[in-house]
Amino acid sequence: MPHRHYMTALRLDESEIQTRRSYFELGDDDLARLRTLHGLAEKHTDEFIERFYEHLLRSASTRKFFPDDATIVRVKRAQRQYFLQLFEGRCDREYVQQRVAVGVAHEHVGLAPTWYLGAYRKYLALLQVRLFDDLPAAEAQAAFLSVQKIVFFDMTLALDTYIAAHQETLARHQAALRELSTPVIRVHDGVLLLPLVGAIDSARAQQVMDTVLLRVAEEKAKCIIVDIAGVPVVDTKVADSLVKTTASVRLLGAHTILTGISAQVARTIVHLGVDVSTMHTRARLQEGIELALDLVGKRIAPVRAKRSSGE
Amino acid sequence: MNVEPDAVESLSRREMPIGSEDDVVVVRRAVRALAQKRGFNAFASAALTTATSELTRNVWVHARKGIAILEEVADGGRIGVRVTFEDEGPGIVDLERALAGGFSTARTMGLGLSGSRRLVDAFRIDSAVGRGTTVEIVKWKEP
Repeated sequence: MPHRHYMTALRLDESEIQTRRSYFELGDDDLARLRTLHGLAEKHTDEFIERFYEHLLRSASTRKFFPDDATIVRVKRAQRQYFLQLFEGRCDREYVQQRVAVGVAHEHVGLAPTWYLGAYRKYLALLQVRLFDDLPAAEAQAAFLSVQKIVFFDMTLALDTYIAAHQETLARHQAALRELSTPVIRVHDGVLLLPLVGAIDSARAQQVMDTVLLRVAEEKAKCIIVDIAGVPVVDTKVADSLVKTTASVRLLGAHTILTGISAQVARTIVHLGVDVSTMHTRARLQEGIELALDLVGKRIAPVRAKRSSGE
Repeated sequence: MNVEPDAVESLSRREMPIGSEDDVVVVRRAVRALAQKRGFNAFASAALTTATSELTRNVWVHARKGIAILEEVADGGRIGVRVTFEDEGPGIVDLERALAGGFSTARTMGLGLSGSRRLVDAFRIDSAVGRGTTVEIVKWKEP
């Protein structure tokens, strides 16, 4: 259950719920007052739902979340229940879990906080009018303040969850990208190739080093070609990680060949004063492969033409 | 230390925050875009972008936060890009040694400052221990 996970991730235990309640000044008297309003809320809920969804369907930004009538019927039913839960006068872990689930759902469908907060504002406006219609002014005022407290309490739960879920989505994507970003390819027996593409930050430099060492050891490789044609900027950070990777690879008894070096990068490396003499370097990947094969005692030779003898 | 003429006119100015390692890429991309817009050749563009990468990373590694000010500048007939890096970090204790190269307090090559200086046309550094560091670089477009 995803909302269970976020209850733990956001540390929403009894003590945290109490802290939040006290900050929102959401007291037991408020919960009691909300319970007395349940009947009134129920009486108007159908009207609220109709006007609430008119509002949501009028705006193109929110309409896209309701692709068909079946969806609308389903969410209206859920929304009705959601609004009525405000007046159950409960604020326990189960209630909090229901609110957390809302944040998870919104992140899942990509409903940004703007539209969630905007929709809640509409509900409060509709409710306020009916409270003042049905109750004496002082009671209506007190009732509205209690509703406001629990609504804000709800919204922060949904938003905290939304943000936490969003961060987890981002972290998952980053992890996936990192996996993709160091594809070590076996070119020939004992010869590996790592084409590097994109910027190399600390985390990636570390990962490049780890992956290279693991694969060189696994494959008992004699040579690894690192092609940097796709690396936009080779600064001392990148150079440092290449030099260190080379040194570690040498401890495993293998050579590192650096290829894909453009004229600009060559000049920049020299101006920076980086010493790359520990690495074999070649301008182009093809030359790197030829050198690698040479180091493992193989070579690429032209095929003897057999056609001439046959015909 | 290279002395830069005072008659440099600023044509545009953009301030960018430095507060994470990702900003190294963000700032240097913005600098590369300026160099490309002004028609720098591939060598000058790579040199300026690489120096920016070094100096932005220095801010991140040593001070954790700071700013980069990107300017298009003109000096008589010349057009160039000036980037100023400002932080309120620990400052550099031995500036001469840091600029000589091969010395690092961060277990790296220690070539960032000296290398950057060789990559650009003008380089000015101002650092006070406990108060921070300002580095200004200019790369001119070759005529």
